[in-house]
Amino acid sequence: MVFTETKRYYVERRVMERMAASGSGTFASYFARLRTDTQQEIEQFINAFTVNETYFYREDHQLRCLTADLLAERLRTRPREHGLRIWCVPCSTGEEPYSVAMWLLENWPVVDQYEIEILGSDIDTQALQACQRGVFGKRALMRLTPALIARYFEPVDGERWRIHDELRQSVVFSRVNLVDSAETRPHGQFDVIFCRNVLIYFDEASRRVAAENLFENLRPGGFICLGHTESMSRISPLFTVRRFADAIVYQRPPEGATDG
Amino acid sequence: MAERKTVLVVDDASLVRLYYRTTLEAAGFNVEEALNGLEALEKLPGLGADLLIVDINMPQMDGFSFLAATRQMDAPVAGTPALLTSTESREADFEAARVAGANYYLVKPVSQQTLVEVASMLCGVRR
Amino acid sequence: MPLVRRPGPPPQDLRATAGILEGLASPSEEARWIAARAAAGIADYATPLAAALGREPAPRVRQAMFTSLSRMDSAGVGAVLPLLRSDDAGLRTGALDALRIMVRSSPELLPPLLDDTDVDVSILSCELARALPADAAPALLCDLLRREEDPNVCAAAVDVLAEVGQSEALPVLAACALKFRDTPFLTFAIQVTVERISSPPPLARA
Repeated sequence: MVFTETKRYYVERRVMERMAASGSGTFASYFARLRTDTQQEIEQFINAFTVNETYFYREDHQLRCLTADLLAERLRTRPREHGLRIWCVPCSTGEEPYSVAMWLLENWPVVDQYEIEILGSDIDTQALQACQRGVFGKRALMRLTPALIARYFEPVDGERWRIHDELRQSVVFSRVNLVDSAETRPHGQFDVIFCRNVLIYFDEASRRVAAENLFENLRPGGFICLGHTESMSRISPLFTVRRFADAIVYQRPPEGATDG
Repeated sequence: MAERKTVLVVDDASLVRLYYRTTLEAAGFNVEEALNGLEALEKLPGLGADLLIVDINMPQMDGFSFLAATRQMDAPVAGTPALLTSTESREADFEAARVAGANYYLVKPVSQQTLVEVASMLCGVRR
Repeated sequence: MPLVRRPGPPPQDLRATAGILEGLASPSEEARWIAARAAAGIADYATPLAAALGREPAPRVRQAMFTSLSRMDSAGVGAVLPLLRSDDAGLRTGALDALRIMVRSSPELLPPLLDDTDVDVSILSCELARALPADAAPALLCDLLRREEDPNVCAAAVDVLAEVGQSEALPVLAACALKFRDTPFLTFAIQVTVERISSPPPLARA
């Protein structure tokens, strides 16, 4: 995250709030607390700065990258008979995987030529129930045009909309703990994984394990997209960074001569 | 009318970088910094560095690997003079530095005077 | 409708089918990866993992080996330590990262490392002190400065104190500056550190 001088007050305010909340009398002691992640201070700090809401078409530059570059490259490099598999993890209350589905139907001209599986997974079972219900409020739909809403949703009442059954039934939801390979492995391998704003909350040891699990869940040459403030280079050397016009994504190295 | 020479300092210790910066700027050099070989490789193209000062013992990519990588790049970067620094002073280390493509080798900690003298010599600056 | 819902292709069976030791010795990179991950946190595999690291060519397998070692706490330290002295920078970095994780969960592992006879180990261990709980690092580093004679080890400790040090460190730093008054880099580093510790933090108001 980058803050310019104009945001100084915004930043100072939040740091002081965290200092007060954590009982740090001086900046030096708060900074030490942050460095060593005492009592999950990093998560608290991040929460103070990021707004943790989810909505349809959030970070749509990654969706653009998906249809402009990622899928084309995936299709070029593997046999056509295999379908495309996309994973959204964590999926929270479903906005993200349903967004992927809608985006593909709306923006990918060749979408009918392929079989596309979309999976959404989360550790929170209540969130998963919300995914299955597929009912959303105004804030979640704020980035969608009225035309899109009319096409893919039906109103439940004046304040909520339910996503059409066709879409609701085409996304598979499951529970997963990213740090447990016994839970991640059964999901199989994907062409594209969206894993946004969750790795930052793990400690270093758990982040490494999660990154290794995600690596296994990618087909060779598959892509993983993180949140726009995250960098995989700091988390794990397993992936190669790929810079596309719309997004920076990370790639599992394609099948090479190395594997036996 | 000599132009200012540009030095890229590559060392993971922030105080070492600050020490070199203070010393070299006072002696009339431009100073750029990188905290390991990877970051230095990202910065090099287009920097116009006249001298690299590189510590051997850095995380992510050590000085030897970094130097070897620069020698593979296009001219003029590939030919940039390089001063290697290390806490070691064995003959084998001098030899390893030479093989990696270093032009000079200094054992840390380095005095300001030595730093300026060697940097000037490697940049072709008369003092 | 191109969006399909299906059980999906059978997931790869990534459990180690051969034993872990056999897997670590396999010519297949994938088999070594699986074996390395399966060894996580199992102290018996610390030594074989470290041995395998010395000859492992694939970066991703090395990474997995270090991850597994980092989950072994004290059993892992003994296995990882020699790798700090490796000629291979990747192994040194991997060892440092693994040690940092181990020290964070078991801080008592650090003091012996700071005292190591190998200067490079001591220097790298000063780095690791950053991973300690808030008030533990300054005390350890000050202790080190009181007794350490090697200027580069002292420099490493001073560098970390510049970030985590508090006013309690000032007397030790002054004594160190005196001890090394003929070493310009150290006097410079200590001066900067003292300034940073002494200056009032900009946000300490209200």
